[in-house]
This record gives sequence, C-alpha cells and structure tokens, in this order.
Amino acid sequence: MKFLQIQNISKSFGQTKIFKHINLELAAGRTLSILGKSGCGKTTMLKTISGLVAPDEGNIILEGNKINDLSPNLRNIVYLYQEDLLFPHLTIFENIAFGLRLQNLNNEVIHQKVNQMIVNLELEGQGDKMPSQISGGQRQRVSFGRAIIISPKLLLLDEPFGSLDVETRYNMQKLFKHLVAQYNITSLFVTHDLKEAFTMGDTMAYMKDGDLKVYLSKQSFVQDQSTGMQDEISFWKNINFFDNE
Amino acid sequence: MPKTRKVILLLYVVMIMFPFFYLFLLSLSAEWKFPDLSPNYFGLKNWEQIFSSQSGLGVSFITSLFISFFVALTTTSLGFYVSRYISYHPRRHTMSMLAYFPYVIAPVVFGACMIYFFLKMGLFGTLYGVILAQSFVAFPYALIFFTSFWGEKIQNYEQLVATLGGNVLQGFMKVTLPLAKGMLMICFFQTFLISWFEYGLTSVIGVGKVETLTIKVFLFIKESNFYFGALSCCLLILPPLVLIYFNKRYVFNKIL
Repeated sequence: MKFLQIQNISKSFGQTKIFKHINLELAAGRTLSILGKSGCGKTTMLKTISGLVAPDEGNIILEGNKINDLSPNLRNIVYLYQEDLLFPHLTIFENIAFGLRLQNLNNEVIHQKVNQMIVNLELEGQGDKMPSQISGGQRQRVSFGRAIIISPKLLLLDEPFGSLDVETRYNMQKLFKHLVAQYNITSLFVTHDLKEAFTMGDTMAYMKDGDLKVYLSKQSFVQDQSTGMQDEISFWKNINFFDNE
Repeated sequence: MPKTRKVILLLYVVMIMFPFFYLFLLSLSAEWKFPDLSPNYFGLKNWEQIFSSQSGLGVSFITSLFISFFVALTTTSLGFYVSRYISYHPRRHTMSMLAYFPYVIAPVVFGACMIYFFLKMGLFGTLYGVILAQSFVAFPYALIFFTSFWGEKIQNYEQLVATLGGNVLQGFMKVTLPLAKGMLMICFFQTFLISWFEYGLTSVIGVGKVETLTIKVFLFIKESNFYFGALSCCLLILPPLVLIYFNKRYVFNKIL
C-alpha cells in the first residue's frame, strides 16, 4: 500500500482551471520533487493536499484513509511556504516549540525535543534570540525544525529555498536531505530549479499548465525533452571556456 | 548653538505650550477683572470644587471616561473582527468604501439626521444613545484602520498554524492577537480620543442630559465662567496625555 495516494484531483477558481485530474503515489520516507514554472498550479496543488484549499473532485488518501473532509489542523500535514514565516513575537526556541505547545505536551519533553532539534539544526546558542536577530538561512532552518519536530506524516515544501543565496541554498539542501533521512519524513518538494529538483527528490514529477506528469525513474525524467533536462545537459556539454582566449 | 536657532526653538516651545500653560493658569484664577494685570485670587479653589455636586465636573469626567472607554473597547474589538471578513472578501474594495460613508457629512448633521431613529429607539437623551451615536463614527474608523493589518502574510500565518495542528482559536490567541497587539492598542487610543473630544453628535443626541466633559466646557464658556471652562479643559487634556505617554512608552517603541 502506498503511503500517499492522490487520485484524480482537480481545482478551478471560477472559469480558471488551476490543475486537472492529478494522480500520484508516494511511498513512506520518500521525497517527490515537483518541477514547474511559476503559475503552473504547484502551490494550489500543495494547498489542496494540506487541506487549505478544497478540491473540486478526486480523493486524497493518506495511510489508506481518505482525508478530503479532514480540516488542515487534523491532517498532520505541514505546508511550508517559501517565506520562513517565523513568528516575530516568539524566540527561536518558542518558534520551534510552537507545534509541540499546541499539543499541550509536558514542558520537560518540549525542552528536551527542542534542544535536540536546535543541535540538529546547528543553531546552538541561538535559542533565546528573536527571529529578527538571525540570518535568512538560519531562519529557514528554524522553519524546518518547527515543522519536523511535530513528526508530520507529510511535509509539503513550496520552493523553500527560493529566497536564499547560492551558498546558503546548497547548505540548506544538504541539511534538508540529512533531516529527512534522520526523521524519516515523507515529502513533496516543489521547485522551479531543475538542479534542485533533481538533487532533492527520490522521484521526479513535472507540472505544466495544471497537468502533472510523474516519472517512474530519474532516468525517464532526464530523457524527457519537455522537462528541460536535456537542454541543460547539452548546455554544459557544449560550453567552451576557451572561446575568448 | 547660534542665537537665532535658540530663539527659534524657544518660540516653538512657547507656541506649543502657551495654550496649555494659559489654561492651567486660568484654572487657578478667579475674579480677574479688566484692567487688572493679575487675578485677585490665585490658588486651588477651582480645583477643589471638581468633585462638588455644584460644578458637576467630577461626574462629567467619570461619565466621559466611561463613554470613551466603552466606545473604544467595543469599536476596536468589533472593527478588528469585522475587518478580517471584509479584507478576505472578494468584494473587499466596495465594502471598505462603505466605511468612509459616515465621514461624508459632518457628525453634527449626521446626528441631526439620526434623531428620529434615536427617538423611536428610546435612546434620545440617554447615555446609551450617546455611546451608540459615537460608535457610528468610531467603528468605521476602526474598520479602516485594521484593513492594512489583514493581508496575505497574516493569512499565511493563520494557514501555517492550521497545518502545524492549531485550531482557529489557538491561531488567534497565539499568533494573530500578539501580532496585532500594537495596532489594537493604537486603535484603542484613537477611538478613545474620537469619543473623548466628540461634541456635535453628543450635544444633538444627548440633548444636554448627558453632560460629557466636552459639553461641560462649552456650557461654562456659554455662562462666561472662563475659570471653570479652563479647569474643564485641563481635565479634558489629562487622559489624552496619559494615553500619549503609554502610546510612546509601550507601543511605538516596540513597533519601531
């Protein structure tokens, strides 16, 4: 049985079709990278899976249970925005502890879990700081930690590294891969960056004008002309660094 | 510091402070007749009469405080709550425009137009009538004020809390309310001031039966009792001064 099954979901706003008849399956602990240009319906699709937007038709099945009618706070699916959205009135520690506090967990348990997460995020000594006192990369890490600490069944990431510089982005990708493996997280990773999609995903999908194509292997993704992978490869193959010499 | 700059700064301070200083001086005076350069009496006699039933100033002060506090609390809370629905509505621009309607006409004319309604409702000349009338002006202000708060970012915060497992109430108490705290306080102060200094509507709907401090100032001036008029003005300035202090100390410093 697949961990996540999306069956034939569609969504329109008025006359505008956002996405149509989307199907996908994902095994537990795996990451599906979804590549697509801006405005192709990726964000609405993620919001539909998380329950923030209701689908017009189709089923969302998690661990064998249909969750269409379940409100977002009961799904245990965390949706992460491109923006870190740290709560500005809370310290880094309290930001990470936020989801645990909602569960009314014991204070001692919260402290233990959050302190461990701070170590995992390589943010030792930053717990008492306010979000405005740390860097963009650190903020994004806190955002991850806040999501992962509540052990979500599914993590939805909507271009989470879009606003970061190249180096920070690379470090975050590494950290994300590490955390996903450590906490056995199942995730959908949406990006418009070809290289990032390829690096982050165990499996690949490509979204265009509301249609989603899921590839059986990374090989088939690479071979498909429409993904742009072939163009990318030929660009790097044909580049001549000595033209101007 | 050059002499000119000193003079300009001194002039600025004098211009700002003179009315307050003069009012305070006048409130301490009595029997100041032309052409005397100074009053015959100078002391705390007028101030001692604040709580006497004869002047009625104490009662007016408390009445004004009650009305303004109630108006500010209800319109700020209601404005915050309703503005959320307006801001997220597809026709939010048209609905926001409606909030400007009460300001198209002067409050006193607005009050005159509403007399029949207040008469029929049994609110004419009552405390509740004045509260309702003032709320007609303060509530749209609160609506307009909070429109800028609600937006995509706040909506994203609310959605994030939901996916982190929080229900609507938890999201409101733990995130929305703390984020809006500064704006709520400012709006409370502003609507308090709108109500505190309101004269036109209060005089029309209150018909002299509800004597707020602003009404009292005009009554004393009409009676040519300038000393008590000045005293009323001093009392009138007191709560706004306290509010400005709190605003600056606890709100602006945290926002900026």
